Amino acid sequence: MTAAGGEGWIDRSLERQEDDRLLAGDGEFLADLRVDGCLHLCFVRSDHAHARIRSVRTAAALAMPGVVAAVTGADLATEMEGGRLQAAPPAPAATRGQVWPLAVEEVCWHGEPVAAVVADDKYVAEDAAAAVAVDYEALPVVTDAEAALREGAPRAHDGWESNEVFAARCTGGADADAIAANDAEVEAAFAAAAVVLSQRFRARRSGAFPLETRGALALWSDEDGLTLRLATQHPHGARLALADLLGLPAAAVRIVAPRDQGGGFGATAPVCREHAVVCHLARRLGRPVRWIETRAEHLMAAGQGWDRVHDLDIAADREGRILALRDRGIADVGDGREDIRRGFVAPQLGSVMLPGAYAIAHADITLRCTVTNKASPGPSRPADAYPARFALERGLDMLARRLGLETAALKRRNLIADFPFTGVTGVRHDSGDYLKAWDTLLERVDLAGFRAMQADARAEGHYLGIGFACGAELSAIPPDMLPPRGERTDLPPGETAGLAHTAGVEAPKPAPCFTAHAATVEVDIETGRFIVLDYVTCEDVGTVIDPIVVEGEVQGAVVHGMSNAMFEELVYGEDGRHWAADLGRYPLASAADVPHVTVAFAPTPSPDHPPGVRALGQGRPGPVPGALANAICDALAPFGVEITTLPLRPEMILSLIEAGRAGNGGASRDIAVRRKA
Amino acid sequence: MRKAITVTVNGRACAREVPIRLLLVDFIRDGCGLTGTHVGCGHEGRCGACTVLIEGRAHKSCLTLAVQADGKEVTTIEGLGSRGLPHHLKRAFRRYHALQCGFCTSGILMNAVDFLDENINPDEEEVRRALIGNLCRCTGYSHIVEAILAASAMRHGLKPEPPPAETEPPP
Repeated sequence: MTAAGGEGWIDRSLERQEDDRLLAGDGEFLADLRVDGCLHLCFVRSDHAHARIRSVRTAAALAMPGVVAAVTGADLATEMEGGRLQAAPPAPAATRGQVWPLAVEEVCWHGEPVAAVVADDKYVAEDAAAAVAVDYEALPVVTDAEAALREGAPRAHDGWESNEVFAARCTGGADADAIAANDAEVEAAFAAAAVVLSQRFRARRSGAFPLETRGALALWSDEDGLTLRLATQHPHGARLALADLLGLPAAAVRIVAPRDQGGGFGATAPVCREHAVVCHLARRLGRPVRWIETRAEHLMAAGQGWDRVHDLDIAADREGRILALRDRGIADVGDGREDIRRGFVAPQLGSVMLPGAYAIAHADITLRCTVTNKASPGPSRPADAYPARFALERGLDMLARRLGLETAALKRRNLIADFPFTGVTGVRHDSGDYLKAWDTLLERVDLAGFRAMQADARAEGHYLGIGFACGAELSAIPPDMLPPRGERTDLPPGETAGLAHTAGVEAPKPAPCFTAHAATVEVDIETGRFIVLDYVTCEDVGTVIDPIVVEGEVQGAVVHGMSNAMFEELVYGEDGRHWAADLGRYPLASAADVPHVTVAFAPTPSPDHPPGVRALGQGRPGPVPGALANAICDALAPFGVEITTLPLRPEMILSLIEAGRAGNGGASRDIAVRRKA
Repeated sequence: MRKAITVTVNGRACAREVPIRLLLVDFIRDGCGLTGTHVGCGHEGRCGACTVLIEGRAHKSCLTLAVQADGKEVTTIEGLGSRGLPHHLKRAFRRYHALQCGFCTSGILMNAVDFLDENINPDEEEVRRALIGNLCRCTGYSHIVEAILAASAMRHGLKPEPPPAETEPPP
């Protein structure tokens, strides 16, 4: 804990005003709101990953006492004016899917909403939802992104020409000549390199999963229109999108976010199909309607991400300086027909952020997005920096091992040192001292002392390892990456923000923050299990306003990343059925699973963002899987173990140890290292 | 099927006729109007946000039927100290920034009350193990562990209570 100090608001740990009510039990989360006469909505969800809907029978549900309404996708298609959500991928768009809030004719993922039942009691609503009978005709399923891109693959959406919906090139500029020149430079750098490391890295789907699930409470008035109490990180976007879907002027839609929200981490940012159904039924019935998502629904439908392949090539000289980078990314965007942020933005951000804090002069980075029969991913911190950081940080460790260099030294050699620096993907690093932060981290962990202890421990049969990773994370997408801004983002004519006091600065440029991580682990070579002994980060978040809040934010984000990397995977069967829709099969890290996270600071104020602040929070889980995996591989270096997939399951680690013992060098069968004569 | 029950919640008798399938957490939230107790998992006892004291011991109210609490004393976060005189754990949670969104906090506090009643001077590892049934997605647990250790030390006079930090910066 940091003691209070400093001038005014800066560098001062103040007690939070909201803690009073939260600790008294007087928080006001969405499910805590009480509205007289409120009805409860429960969704019926598909139990097939891909099927044609032959019929949806609601008569039995409607006959139950207390049931007020039951609707299907076919009902909505006739009742709703706007109705369909549309994914608008950033240019160049390939496919723009549309989807009704409830499935019509076809379900495309296990858990897709098919019908909704409204009753005066939530227990009755659940009973009634179970009484809705849906008759399905199974269709071919595709759940793997690479399989979806193959010639002749089953289509995730019946009748679509292709599963590939979006492709992007993140380097080399916009016109063909510039791209050709860039590719030639990258080719030349690879041809001249002393070492080329080529490796595939794979992250499996996990995500945000806050403690509070999604929810909505809609009130309709013929005079005033719709008031939606919504657990949301993005009320303005919800207002405009729902106005469209419901065929209402924006002025007739009010979104009120509850005073308290139980986390979010991205999961509650998008507009979702469920919200539109809740609003539509409140309007149709003229009564308040509430939906509180169950944990099973949340795990099936919300805040998922990072389902990603990186085929990475790194060209380097003998000292480990990166000469060029090539990345062929494939992102699984699941259903892919919902809100723009549910699919395209996060994968693109992952590709753009791939170089991170490293000064990489030449790169060729591309991305392909494909639909599959899984839920649309949503925003979840740190977006696709999670698989990207894992890929590059692991790749650099593998490179260091091939070159016989200490990984911490190789990484330091490649960090951006001169500012401002504009990277190969257009990310501008305004200012900073990444070397100072890196060196501060190294002082904290005492690498030389650790190496001595590691050697002693190994002599006694204990496998300790240390791993490093870092990231320079953005708080926002660079403005020039966004689709053209239309007038839709402005307030309707005659409306004001309605706030008593407003003040703001227009941040002209994103100010990346730098975070460097070191993990220490011990691995049990008989079981593949590991424990995290120690975890240290060094942060450049610019000017630190409230140290204890910053520390808590970093600790929370790091443990979020540990939980994702160590325990979490949304497992799907070959038939596309979701196998992990409860917290028993999708465990989150508890206090006993993780160590104390030590947070050190090496701040450099940003010149662009008064009072010198930088982004915080969103990016912090990014380097965690790389740091942990690197520590495990360092511990298991005698077996030549090289981890290339997430999550870090003991059985995966054990199989690599066994391969190493059998003389196959862990995962290195997949590694092609080319040394020039 | 319904049954008439009386549960003493935070010292007040709460008499209701309830369906026998009603969960205690819904009885507390909807029947008694005490919404400080939360639900974060699928009524599977995993997240711990619904933890309350029944006869002084921590229980997950999403795994308990309301009828099972008939005739018993239940304490929720609302009954732990008062706003004027907050419980020492609440003071420590505030001082050590042990809550961010606050959704899991009520369950953690109730579990910690039970734990500290049984453990006079626990160490960090014991506190971490005691929290195994409570999930938090915001804090990374460090500040929660520090707050519980500090509350324990304060309660037994092993460590003086730090003065509260300011809530407003100096002019």
